[in-house]
Amino acid sequence: MATIEINGKVVEARDGAMLIEAAAEAGFAIPHFCYHRKLTIAASCRMCLVEVEKAPKPLPACATPVSDGMKVQTRSPKALAAQKAVMEFLLINHPLDCPICDQGGECDLQELAVGYGGDVTRFAEGKRVVGDPDLGPLIATEMTRCIHCTRCVRFIAEIAGTRELGAPGRGEHMHITSWLGGQVGSELSGNVIDLCPVGALTSKPFRFRARAWELNARPAVAMHDGLGANLWFDTLRGQVLRARPRDNEAVNECWLSDRDRFACAGLHSDDRLRQPLLRDRNGWREAGWDEALPRAAQLLRNIVDNRGGEQLAALAAPSQSAEEYYLLQKLLRALGSPHIEHRLRQGCFTAQEAMPLMPGLGMAPEALQAGDAFLMVGCHLRKEQPLLNHRVRQAVLNGAAAMAINPVVWPSNYPLAAEQTVAPSRLAGALAEVAQALAGGEAGGEAAAMAERLRDAEQPLILVGAVAQMGEYLGAILAQAMQVAEACGGRVAFLPEGGNSAAAWLAGAVPHRGVAGSHAPTVGKHLRQLYAEPVAGLLLLGIEPERDSLDPAAMARLLEAAEGVVALAAYDSPLLREHADVILPLATWAESAGTQINHAGLWQSYRGAVAAPGEARPGWKVLRVLGNLLDLDGFDFNAADEVLAELRAAVDRQGAFAPTPWPAVALPDAPASVEAVAALSPYSVDAMVRRSPPLQAASDAPQPCCRVHPALAERLGRPQRVRVGDGAASAVLALEIDERVADGCIVVPTAIAETALLGALTGAISVEQAA
Amino acid sequence: MMVQSRNPAADQGMTELSEQSLAEIDRWIAKYPVDQRQSAVMAALRIAQEQNGGWLNRALIEAVADYLGMSPIEVEEVATFYSMYELKPVGRHKICVCTNISCLLRGSDEVVAHLEQRLGIRMGETTADGRFTLKEVECLGACVNAPMFQIGRDYHENLTPERIDAILDRLD
Amino acid sequence: MKLAKALKSLFLIELLRGMRLTGKRLFSPKVTVQYPDEKTPQSHRFRGLHAQRRYANGEERCIACKLCEVVCPALAITIEAEPREDGSRRTTRYEIDLFKCIYCGFCEESCPVDSIVETRHFEFCMENNSERVIDKQRLLEMGDRFEAQIAADRALDRPYR
Repeated sequence: MATIEINGKVVEARDGAMLIEAAAEAGFAIPHFCYHRKLTIAASCRMCLVEVEKAPKPLPACATPVSDGMKVQTRSPKALAAQKAVMEFLLINHPLDCPICDQGGECDLQELAVGYGGDVTRFAEGKRVVGDPDLGPLIATEMTRCIHCTRCVRFIAEIAGTRELGAPGRGEHMHITSWLGGQVGSELSGNVIDLCPVGALTSKPFRFRARAWELNARPAVAMHDGLGANLWFDTLRGQVLRARPRDNEAVNECWLSDRDRFACAGLHSDDRLRQPLLRDRNGWREAGWDEALPRAAQLLRNIVDNRGGEQLAALAAPSQSAEEYYLLQKLLRALGSPHIEHRLRQGCFTAQEAMPLMPGLGMAPEALQAGDAFLMVGCHLRKEQPLLNHRVRQAVLNGAAAMAINPVVWPSNYPLAAEQTVAPSRLAGALAEVAQALAGGEAGGEAAAMAERLRDAEQPLILVGAVAQMGEYLGAILAQAMQVAEACGGRVAFLPEGGNSAAAWLAGAVPHRGVAGSHAPTVGKHLRQLYAEPVAGLLLLGIEPERDSLDPAAMARLLEAAEGVVALAAYDSPLLREHADVILPLATWAESAGTQINHAGLWQSYRGAVAAPGEARPGWKVLRVLGNLLDLDGFDFNAADEVLAELRAAVDRQGAFAPTPWPAVALPDAPASVEAVAALSPYSVDAMVRRSPPLQAASDAPQPCCRVHPALAERLGRPQRVRVGDGAASAVLALEIDERVADGCIVVPTAIAETALLGALTGAISVEQAA
Repeated sequence: MMVQSRNPAADQGMTELSEQSLAEIDRWIAKYPVDQRQSAVMAALRIAQEQNGGWLNRALIEAVADYLGMSPIEVEEVATFYSMYELKPVGRHKICVCTNISCLLRGSDEVVAHLEQRLGIRMGETTADGRFTLKEVECLGACVNAPMFQIGRDYHENLTPERIDAILDRLD
Repeated sequence: MKLAKALKSLFLIELLRGMRLTGKRLFSPKVTVQYPDEKTPQSHRFRGLHAQRRYANGEERCIACKLCEVVCPALAITIEAEPREDGSRRTTRYEIDLFKCIYCGFCEESCPVDSIVETRHFEFCMENNSERVIDKQRLLEMGDRFEAQIAADRALDRPYR
């Protein structure tokens, strides 16, 4: 600790702390632009010049470490003169276009100019004008306003890890741009909008729509990946106009992934359902809730009475609130049905009994940063869980080893210590080799290298991701991952793609377990069993059947086989129109109260930011009234909090959970023909994201094309387009040759219109040249 | 003043680093620690520029970036920072005339005037036959014999119109 | 006191005093204006019905900065904005509720491009409640109609700004 004096006040400061931090802790704000607590120090804006005793010139507070006995004046005449002089220089080339600048009202330069700027300029020469690069559909540029703080460049290089932005040129010619003015592809790129202290980088979807002062900031929790990033929804006249990160060091720090930031543009899409819809003889008609709810209840009641509770099943999307899952399973189980499922994109359900209480990290995201070995299996962490990947990246920069066994070599933003590229059917086998090597057996080069890094590590972590989840080999992969974890003393983190999977597991929205992992009296059918033996009645919660299922064809057959389908949905969907009998408009998580349970098991509750459009209502309210109309006990909730309290009490009552031990799962055989790898774009994971125009225009948006290894392309005859299919249905897609794909595999996009009626994209698939 | 990205010209010149250039770059890389290949970026850019007739194009910047494990924008930052890197085609002989204070006091303005008049081009331009490019540079550290200019790797000092004519006549 | 009051009352003093004033006014020059045939003079700073102005090339001045909206003490102004096709910042909706408006002129004071102004036009009426909200088109029409006078008035006021 160093004892220093700031403005006459004696302050204890951590050794190595910069003056600006010490001053901030002591309550003295020093004006600054380029300094940011999460980025390296550039000292390029010079706004934080302060007077230090015995220093001949003012020193930048952001780049001056404290030393014992230092006497600092932050507002002495000399310091103020320096700060004012810097401000005058900054304003020389800054345009006076605040009235048309989106940053106006929340601009650091504007605010500090009030305190330090002059009222009249002494600069009579022509100002500098800078051409604008087009950084893509997310970030609007107005580079004339740039003050060269380089926060964006440092963020992209240090946090996003892609070094796509730079500052070419020198002196007056220096300007911020990307290589050849191209699009920024980082999945965290939107953060430069917050970082930019002026209006040079602003949000493109939000452009010119509102001013900072007229927005109401409402806290929310993002539901697009399992992290549950905290954010503010800025609303105006009942519309969510933009999302900004809400600081929470334990979850998202001060960052937000592009998906969490720009998904809200899909909230007010034209195909939102606004009115309950009933099917009658002449087709669909709009109805009031007072008509639709009894009709829905009657439909469910008829099925239960005539066909038995066993003939009813409920499917929920993996990004609904914990309250909704709880009420849904309570409703279903009260009606005598154990068939409740949310794992719509899971390809394999063997060993589901051995699954932990809920999927996730089992530790705080912060703890990842202190990890020392990560093995990613079937996991494109960078795009699946962008902010977890950022934590892993920080760990790797601190010396941790990251390794991957994946069917595709995805571009990583940190070096991988070892890497294997194998077909999905071989993922488990590759893990088995690592386990073998850990046990001292013979193993190939990469497996041995992985074993060595895992053995040396104190906290090895095996991350099983959505790519593994979407295959039919998940059981084998998880079983082998457990073997590896046991052998190296590490743990397995299963990270499914759903935004609230953990809550679904915990609230009992799985067929084989009750609330908090309690014993289910009857084990219901999981999704594949439902596909094989359809039921008479279906209750759907928040599902877009064409896109939210790994196997849309089977989903369509399931809907078709059902006699009665009640759908609670936020967005319209042709399959629902075709097969449902009642469609009830649902409020999204942005419009209703609810709770997200994240990877770390952290319960995060939120309130609706805006009212749902039209007659749409929160799911918990709809399920509660359905419970009442069906004369079920225990559905007298008046608020989401009460539902949550009941769920919490049930979880507390349940106590410790002990899963059954992992069964031995045989290593799968590789299919004889070409093997499919389902590619789920980060921007097709849920209905809201799929409707966000800026995300759909971004570089990570789903592309209707398949990718294969050159060797396989050669065997196929290097076609331009291929027909992929499973016998029943097929789709013609463009073919791209990509040596990063494992040989023998074809990467096929899922959750897009072109492949909407194909079966599950896993295992064998037929591929032939298309005209 | 308008600042535009001076993106290197796209579709002219060489697109790949030659074997010889790569060998030479390797020699520079060897001078730095193994994990700091990017330290050789300035030398690599110079080598690439020499290979391509004195200027750098897009493809070569990308090739250098690729070879050193850097991103192209990082290499562009270096290439645009130093005035010795050219981002558009130059003549066979680049005449770098010092116009800094010592040379100015010793008559570099006359040198410039004579060159411009003789070659029929202005500072920063290239003759139509692609022989000469005129470039204004800052002090090259030869003030003792000002005025001076540099052509290729040679310094020419104590310049007078006659000496300039003689020097230029000797060049192809 | 009582006597004095009785005398006043007896000789109708108060009445005569009143009649004297009436008589004086009867023959002095009249100040009453015969509105609407006659009108009182108006200051060039008169704050009447609002208008939006254009530049000489026909381009609307308003840039949707929303300063008038935020400064309006009566919350009478509603603005919605988005990028126009050419990328410039423009309003898609600009409405003033004339029943809420208190004609304080703050909107005009706050406008950085002299777009929203209050004209000298004050004789307006409406037959339906809905007409109280005037939209961008009507504001621009007002601007086109009174531009000459608006410009002349601003020029007169220039030395004091």
